[in-house]
Amino acid sequence: MGTSYKYKRDASRLFIAVRDNGKRYKIYIPRESNPVIDGNEKEIDFIEQDDFQYTFNFNDKQFYCELVSRDQNKAVVIVNGVEYKFSLESIFSYVRRGMISTGDDKSSANNIVAPMPGKIIEICLHEGDLVNAGEPVLTLEAMKMQNEITADCDGVIQKIRVNEGQSVMKDELLVEIQSIDV
Amino acid sequence: MFKVTNNMIKKRLLIANRSEIAIRIIRSAHKLGMYAIVFRSDKEQDALYLKFADEIIDAKDADDEKPIFLNQQKIVDFAVQHNIDLIHPGYGFLSENPDFAALCIANNINFIGPSPELIRDMGLKTVAKHMAVEAGLPLVPGSEGPIANAQDAKEFADKIGYPVILKASAGGGGRGMRIVEKPETIERNFKAAYDEALAAFGNGDIFIEKYLQNPKHLEFQILGDKHGNVIHLGERECSLQRKHQKIIEEAPSASVTSKMREEMGAMAVRFAQKIGYYSAGTIEYIMDEDGSYYFMEMNTRIQVEHPVTEMITGVDLVDWQIKIALDEKLTLKQEDIKINGWAIECRVNTEDPQNRFSPQTGFIDKINFPQNSSVRLETGFLSGSIVTPYFDSMIAKIIVHGTDREDVINKTLNALYNFNIIGLKTTVPFCIAVLKHPDFINATYTTRWVDKVYTPDMLENEDDEVIAALAATIMYASEYLQLQGDIPAYKNDALNVWVLNKRLNY
Repeated sequence: MGTSYKYKRDASRLFIAVRDNGKRYKIYIPRESNPVIDGNEKEIDFIEQDDFQYTFNFNDKQFYCELVSRDQNKAVVIVNGVEYKFSLESIFSYVRRGMISTGDDKSSANNIVAPMPGKIIEICLHEGDLVNAGEPVLTLEAMKMQNEITADCDGVIQKIRVNEGQSVMKDELLVEIQSIDV
Repeated sequence: MFKVTNNMIKKRLLIANRSEIAIRIIRSAHKLGMYAIVFRSDKEQDALYLKFADEIIDAKDADDEKPIFLNQQKIVDFAVQHNIDLIHPGYGFLSENPDFAALCIANNINFIGPSPELIRDMGLKTVAKHMAVEAGLPLVPGSEGPIANAQDAKEFADKIGYPVILKASAGGGGRGMRIVEKPETIERNFKAAYDEALAAFGNGDIFIEKYLQNPKHLEFQILGDKHGNVIHLGERECSLQRKHQKIIEEAPSASVTSKMREEMGAMAVRFAQKIGYYSAGTIEYIMDEDGSYYFMEMNTRIQVEHPVTEMITGVDLVDWQIKIALDEKLTLKQEDIKINGWAIECRVNTEDPQNRFSPQTGFIDKINFPQNSSVRLETGFLSGSIVTPYFDSMIAKIIVHGTDREDVINKTLNALYNFNIIGLKTTVPFCIAVLKHPDFINATYTTRWVDKVYTPDMLENEDDEVIAALAATIMYASEYLQLQGDIPAYKNDALNVWVLNKRLNY
């Protein structure tokens, strides 16, 4: 079931590439399968790779890339003869530097609170994991019924405040999620 | 149709040039049964053209102030030593230097080109214009000779109306040239142009003429022999220029009707006949927005863009240059010249179109050329070649033939998409942007297009940008993920780029 989600746990594979003109790309490079760019999986194939050179196939076209320079987190890439400049951030440093809007109301809206009193049966994810909107984060048992509690945004699990087997009250904060909708 | 005569066979032809044009001339020399001899310049020792020659003369020009191709005496001395029969100067360098042509002749070497006298006359713009007027060619309203001083310049400009252009008589490449929009600045500009011309050419003669705001550059190819026969091979449009240098040329021109072609061509032939021109030559016209056209100048050499004419007429211009030099009669008649389809040439220069076309020099890591039956490629470079700062930045010409204009534009774009070079930036993305632009598609572009319309963001497109972001990210990620191995909070594989790639490729 988990395989149908575009983000596959490992948040350290999620990056933000910001062009010198301010345009931003959110790029997730999974272990397997295609990259996810701005939330959409793209059919991009690797054709060839050499030192500082990549060739991709995308939309039935070849893209010849040359990595021209690299200074700290800044990179200059030539694609089909045209130069593009990017600065790159991991999602963590991006969050840390406050570059994702973390207006309190907004970020707390993404947190998961207990919708009813009950007992935590299972926690599906770990801190630092990537979670997809609609993906179950934990199972809460109340009145002999097991309820899957899902994330309501694509995000990173910042902090898990409960343990499996623990009983919780209604409205208790269970999991803090940092949205990655930039 | 084509005969190799005893007159040609085993003649020794020296090429006083380099790169793609040297290879182009070698091809013709071999077709005519001649030996092709080239110079190896110390400034470009491993050049590709050397591999095609029958003999190589070591120029030993490492300590010379200028490369061998500009050193008249040295070229001729070598030529005499090596029993050279003919010298082909190519384009640029000494190709339009009358002293060099005369020096060749004085040493009993056949200079492939017109007479030194005509090279000299055509090189002096005021003289050339005077001769054109005598042959009945229209001129842009302007001064008949050099203007004596700033005051005269102002009086003249007031008479013909602004804007006007000041040009050095001996000029070229934009030096000694000034466009003056209003009377207040003409005196200052005249002095500047004069000083510049004097410094650059040793001749401060300046003339003045009306400045056309949005002109097209058209030129007629002619061929003449030493027996008084002259034909024209139609026009080329070379309006797409940056820094007054052509970058895309096409033939024929969408702005020339067949009636105009006949008229302008006949005029070019009449002019060449009247001055007694032989060899290949080009009559340049400038065309105003209303379709009126004026004689600009005559080029007395083979031109960079000659292949577009060859593609649509099937005539080999370099073969004819050589045959004419050997006194052969021009067997082609005007009625033999039929225009077949359309051709475009794109110049691949190692210049950065994102940064004011600044030249790029260095190592070409990899170069892949389009290969297709409708594509003619002329180049002097391959993977591993070095682009030196000593010579110009053109590394290749891509010439494409199509059935009509729309067809050739599509085929040219396709060829450019299949061209890739790693190591240096080139004008290829620029050519793509031009060929996709409505001004080119509608053939309304003028010589001012680059200055007025072009912006570097025309070079970009969304797919390229996405891929660039991905490539930059992969590069960054490969290092980042390795570093992260040290941070206990997140558990990661140490990844290298290669592993990452393999996974992406999954």
